[in-house]
Amino acid sequence: MYDVTKSEAELDQSDIKFAARNVQVFYGADQAIKDVDVDIRDKTVTSFIGPSGCGKSTFLRCLNRMNDTIDICRVEGEIRLDGQDIYARSVDPVQLRAKVGMVFQKPNPFPKSIYDNVAYGPKIHGMARKKEDLDQVVETALRDAGLWEEVKDRLDTPGTGLSGGQQQRLCIARAVATRPEVLLMDEPCSALDPIATAQIEELIDKLRAQYSVIIVTHSMQQAGRISQKTAFFHLGNLVEYGDTDTIFTNPEDRRTESYITGRIG
Amino acid sequence: MTDSTAERFDWASPEINAHLRKRKRSQFYLKSLGLGAIAIAFSALALLVGSLISTGYPAFTQTHLVVEAEIDPDLMDPDNPRDGDFRQLARDIVTNRVIDGADTDNTDRLTDILSNRAQFTLRDMVVANPDLIGETVDVELPVADRYDQLYKGFVNQNTPEDIRRLSDREIEIFDQLVDGGYVAKPFNWDLFKNADSRFPEVAGLKGAIIGSAYALLVCFVLSFPVGIGAAIYLEEFAPKNRISDLIEININNLAAVPSVVFGLLGLAVFIGWFGLPRSVPFVGGMTLALMTLPTIIIATRAAIKSVPPSIREAALGVGASKQQVVFGHVLPLAMPGILTGTIIGLAQALGETAPLLLIGMNAFITSAPSTPFDSATALPTQIFIWADSPERGFVSRTSAAILVLLTFLITMNAIAIFLRQKFERKW
Repeated sequence: MYDVTKSEAELDQSDIKFAARNVQVFYGADQAIKDVDVDIRDKTVTSFIGPSGCGKSTFLRCLNRMNDTIDICRVEGEIRLDGQDIYARSVDPVQLRAKVGMVFQKPNPFPKSIYDNVAYGPKIHGMARKKEDLDQVVETALRDAGLWEEVKDRLDTPGTGLSGGQQQRLCIARAVATRPEVLLMDEPCSALDPIATAQIEELIDKLRAQYSVIIVTHSMQQAGRISQKTAFFHLGNLVEYGDTDTIFTNPEDRRTESYITGRIG
Repeated sequence: MTDSTAERFDWASPEINAHLRKRKRSQFYLKSLGLGAIAIAFSALALLVGSLISTGYPAFTQTHLVVEAEIDPDLMDPDNPRDGDFRQLARDIVTNRVIDGADTDNTDRLTDILSNRAQFTLRDMVVANPDLIGETVDVELPVADRYDQLYKGFVNQNTPEDIRRLSDREIEIFDQLVDGGYVAKPFNWDLFKNADSRFPEVAGLKGAIIGSAYALLVCFVLSFPVGIGAAIYLEEFAPKNRISDLIEININNLAAVPSVVFGLLGLAVFIGWFGLPRSVPFVGGMTLALMTLPTIIIATRAAIKSVPPSIREAALGVGASKQQVVFGHVLPLAMPGILTGTIIGLAQALGETAPLLLIGMNAFITSAPSTPFDSATALPTQIFIWADSPERGFVSRTSAAILVLLTFLITMNAIAIFLRQKFERKW
């Protein structure tokens, strides 16, 4: 099993965004995540890779407590965001999700206007009191998501009328509009064509300057292209975690090597 | 190349062709059966509506005596017209028009030509406008049911006189009026402007329509918010355990309970226990609400379930609370389904007879209710009452009332379809 404390010993504590210790996740009686320890660094793109059903999405959804919405799901262990235990009683999951934004596999804009899609988060959190402030927040978010130039003249048209890639960038804009510190992305490009995928990847690279980005992906090329850190999950275990270059060129574990070379998964 | 070329499957063999023909045949049979079923259903519907229209259409016109009448000042006191002798006035109106040797001294029962209500129509007219006293005005008065039937051609004059409802003499006198051009058959607005009456020629549906409207209003006000609230709680907030399963099963059972049982419940609880008055639309509406509630809950839950989970996740993902997700996203998207279910539930309630019979909404009430707490009938119970009445005029009125009820039901269903198509969202 991969040992966090040793290989990341040189890591400055203030660089750590998420610190997970002994995380176990159960769906009813089935254990989906077994004893995962990991430190996710700030202002870094971290990829979670692994074969289907390995638990990478489940673990991702633990980081903003989306698993809370599943009745039979139980999370054990400790996950700290900036040192604060996010499963502590005092933490409101609703507030947490504003700080840890999420982008889903399938673009899922609300059946509302582009403007309302982006403005929704800031509105419900009371982040902008005045209309001008809200306009500014929406513009900034859309610019951050690289969508502003394409939609600035039709902000009142339905978000569902955009192309797939534009919809996904709209969802990213919606997520960054609440000024999160971390962006979780669950296979954000799996429903997109290569051009839209390239745009999103470029965008993720830019977002790294402001956010810590964690992305689940099935494409190892994608993980290699965009991430600095990669975590390989297999059968609920975190098998290996380290610099992307190292994982892809010189993996320590045989299972990682098998997966990367296409023999398992 | 291997031997497989030699063993290539023969797709043109007689067995294969026979098999293909068999498949085509069975598909043809299935299609024909489906078409046959639809044809049967449509002909049954056509038969129903056709028979209703053929028996009901005469009720949409009503034979009237259209004459100039002098409001005789001798028969009433201008200061108190209400107590005037309008019976005599109505009589005079007829006798003045019958010229040819009729015995005006009552032996020819001339007064019977006009509806018994004609005197009250005259009275209301004069009371509303006392200046008419002494004037000559055009009046349009409904004739009695027997003469109405005669004019509409439902009296067979070949029937022996002693078993006919009109004597030869009576027919002769009425024919004089017809020849004089005093008889007309305009659209029967009274059917919608009058409440129930013992006399079919003036009986109308106003009381029943208003009674049904009040009952439906009460039913909607009670069952819509309660139904939606219950559905939201069960679907979004209730823990999934034995108790919620039990509740779900019982709601489905409740939807299948015969309506007469809800009537008994209404009678026992609302009237017997709470001491609310009988025959009032308010109690009718509450009883119907009991019946509509499970329908609305089931429709709302189905509509909430059909909202794609991706929308919930999206809202939760930006930090919306459960309540914000439900009221901001799930409910608006489920609304077309909820409204459709509600309207269909209300349409069901509108046509429901049994529970209303049990709480006494089949009483004979001759005035339209002005509040939901006044005694009234409802459309289905009015149909029930009229179907029970022996007068010939009620036969066509029963069918006419059914047609009116069907019109309301079809309108409500059309609104449901319209709402569903208008507000349905695509994603």
